[in-house]
Amino acid sequence: MTEAIFPLLFGSEELRLLTAIGLGFLFGFTLERAGFGNARKLAAQFYLHDMTVFKVMFTAILVAMVGLYSFSAIGLLDMSRMWINPTFMWAQVIGGFMLGAGFIMSGLCPGTSVVSAASGRWDGLMTFGGIFVGSFLFAVFMDWFPALGSLYSGGSMGESVLPALLHVPAPVFVLGVVIMAGAAFVGAEKVERIFRQRHEPVELGPKQTPRTARYKFAIAGALVVVALVATGATAPSLERPAQPMGEVAPLDLAQEIIVGNPNLVILDLRSENDSAPGIPGSTRITSDFAAQQLLNSAGSAARVVVYDETGSLELAPATWPAGLAYYSLVGGLQGWKTDVVTPAEPSGYGTAEREFILWQNQIAGFFSGAAVRPSAVAAPPVVAGGAKKKKKKSMGC
Amino acid sequence: MKAKPYWNPYMAGVLLGLTLLATFLIAGQGLGASAFPKRVLATVGSEVVPEWTASNPSLGMYLEDDSNPLRNWLVIEVVGVMLGGLLGALSAGRFKPTVEKGPRISTRGRLMYAAGGGVIMGFAAALARGCTSGQALSGGALLATGSWAFMMMVFAGGYAFAYLVRRQWT
Repeated sequence: MTEAIFPLLFGSEELRLLTAIGLGFLFGFTLERAGFGNARKLAAQFYLHDMTVFKVMFTAILVAMVGLYSFSAIGLLDMSRMWINPTFMWAQVIGGFMLGAGFIMSGLCPGTSVVSAASGRWDGLMTFGGIFVGSFLFAVFMDWFPALGSLYSGGSMGESVLPALLHVPAPVFVLGVVIMAGAAFVGAEKVERIFRQRHEPVELGPKQTPRTARYKFAIAGALVVVALVATGATAPSLERPAQPMGEVAPLDLAQEIIVGNPNLVILDLRSENDSAPGIPGSTRITSDFAAQQLLNSAGSAARVVVYDETGSLELAPATWPAGLAYYSLVGGLQGWKTDVVTPAEPSGYGTAEREFILWQNQIAGFFSGAAVRPSAVAAPPVVAGGAKKKKKKSMGC
Repeated sequence: MKAKPYWNPYMAGVLLGLTLLATFLIAGQGLGASAFPKRVLATVGSEVVPEWTASNPSLGMYLEDDSNPLRNWLVIEVVGVMLGGLLGALSAGRFKPTVEKGPRISTRGRLMYAAGGGVIMGFAAALARGCTSGQALSGGALLATGSWAFMMMVFAGGYAFAYLVRRQWT
């Protein structure tokens, strides 16, 4: 695998800051030349007779997405060094709707208002000024209304990306987006043609994309798809790697439960149709989303123990928050039953083993309801077979 | 001088996408716009009302590491956007102090709408942690879950209110 050279300026902050002016310049120049300094052209998107906003935006997203995922797939780009927008579902759903309402009032969005103002438009300048006021109001309202604070951090899902969330391999997902966008472009051209005839057309730059040009773009698009399939077939992707887990023995877990470790989170990951009762205090997890929500609210000191029927779990999903300590229960629920609930009676043993069995039986008594909280359990014998094997997870981003 | 026509949208999209891709590959982050006002506010606030600003959940985070909040990639980038927009308009013969509006609304009315929309967007972008550039475009290219939800809702919000404000445009 090739060495990841991108992001190129990771870690050299001075140089990185210098590139901002040039890349920003290209951004502003392109937006202006696309017509995005003109509020009437942008607003026309929402009256359906000029779909330029949609076309430019989605073409740009496709190009950057295909590039990112391809570079990542061939190992040139290290995605763990990339800043990925964290998902706060409620804040972004409601914020998005509000921003759309403001967009159609201004005819500009924050980025294009900068371009509009820079090209002399007073409405652009007013919009840009309004954004300062709005940002200030938000800061003030955060102080006044605690509910806004909970909305601001509501629906936290971490650095969630769609392919990982939906369990679709990234190249397949990217390909799907490309195909859907292609269909949407065809649709956008049709919609434009219909609505341009109805409305008196506002003079807003080039008319319909000429047919020949459309063929050229279709061919270019097809080439991109072929290139993507070629690279996508080779390797994994931007999906963050699954996170390694430590192991915890059933008796150790049992002891932690009895002692009442407040940071302990036990997740029951058995299949849904397994109706046997799980480990006391564990939460049955039926969807990855539910697990993410639970873990995001668990706090950074959480000790997360997961189990299935047989103890086959080795990796925590990439979608789970990084930085928590994950452990797999050795032997799963079966291991729990044989070690904790109904320990077997061994034959022939020395003092150390005897002590161990005593300890084990006390724990069994606790979980089968036969005994009250045993006092000895807080001090497990060192000899015990289930010596702790805590691996501190060092992953993080 | 007659203004040059706008670029073909697909070509403009490809160039915008390449700019965005270069940004990711070089700087390790996407493009943005709404961080600029917030960081300017944090800077002004740290001079005028330092305690309030530092403890504010929306602005305080920019003051945490004691460095200048304006010494930031996104802030410098927005300065670049201004220059790029200016040069793009000048070189296309499009720079003109004017107000973009339809015939049915007064200049003053249009400016009120523009400012009002700006206020709403400033609030919304602060809430959503990004705007059309930082969330929809950049986060969209990364396939970030919340960014796609945001993008869909921007279009939903735009279409929902388009009818109410139509007299601005036609």
